[in-house]
Amino acid sequence: MKTNEYLDEIREMNLAYLLLAQRLLHADREEAMFRLKIDDAMADFLFSLGAQQLSRLANTNQLLCQLGHDGVEPLRQVVDNPREQGLSHFHSSLLMASRPLSSSLSPEEGRGHVD
Amino acid sequence: MSTKSLLDEWRQVRLAIDLIELGARLQVLETETDLSRARLIRLFKEVRGMSPPKGMLPFSTDWFITWMPNIHSSLFYNVYLRLREDHGCSRMSGFIKAYRLYLEQVAIDDADAVLGLTRAWTLVRFFESEQLQLSSCTRCHGRFVAHAHSPSHDYVCGICQPPSRAGKTRKRREQADAARRVPPALEASSQA
Repeated sequence: MKTNEYLDEIREMNLAYLLLAQRLLHADREEAMFRLKIDDAMADFLFSLGAQQLSRLANTNQLLCQLGHDGVEPLRQVVDNPREQGLSHFHSSLLMASRPLSSSLSPEEGRGHVD
Repeated sequence: MSTKSLLDEWRQVRLAIDLIELGARLQVLETETDLSRARLIRLFKEVRGMSPPKGMLPFSTDWFITWMPNIHSSLFYNVYLRLREDHGCSRMSGFIKAYRLYLEQVAIDDADAVLGLTRAWTLVRFFESEQLQLSSCTRCHGRFVAHAHSPSHDYVCGICQPPSRAGKTRKRREQADAARRVPPALEASSQA
């Protein structure tokens, strides 16, 4: 079977993400948690990983990091604002900062029920 | 006062230096540290190489509601809230980190830091005294600074719906005119 041409890129991206997360956490823990949108426990966990564990997590065919925005409509306002005033970067940053951490962490909410 | 530990005093001086470097006025330092006014003035002179500016701090909530200041204030305050509520930062540590993160975003766009540090501090104080609230924009779902108790069920933010005169200051017009004057020259050179 032919391997997916994007597979290497995904694995590299995963590893780069984990390594960056560790460097950010090392430099300034709270600031890093804000940028990464992760809680205390996840910060401790990611920070504690060794090289072998990192590569174990990174070697998958799915991306480890997820989109930091809620839904399409707010994003459309950022990229297709008819009255754009050169503020789209600011807008994007503000929208992500407006989301409480709990909204991206709670697995009970926002997911389809499986009956 | 003699019971104060050296370590605690060092922390206070460190905090004062951070605040002065980011542009704090003397009133901010006097409220947020236990250091004497005389020491704060000395510290200010050593860090900034000049005497602290005199005069009262801005005291109105209205400035935070005007168009561009509102956008900058809202970004800063949302970051501050995340650091405080989600990531366990103490009040002043969260404040300084949030202000640095705000400046970082401003620098990405090469824009002016409309929200000075002292303004940012008064903003936090206004929220603490419940004179301001965050209202959610019904279009982008971003949260924006608003007067306390103002209705927010059909609120639309200043980015989704800028006021009609937004961005039409004289400075902006002159920049735009200057930009327009460039293309003919480029056209001429491309034809050559």
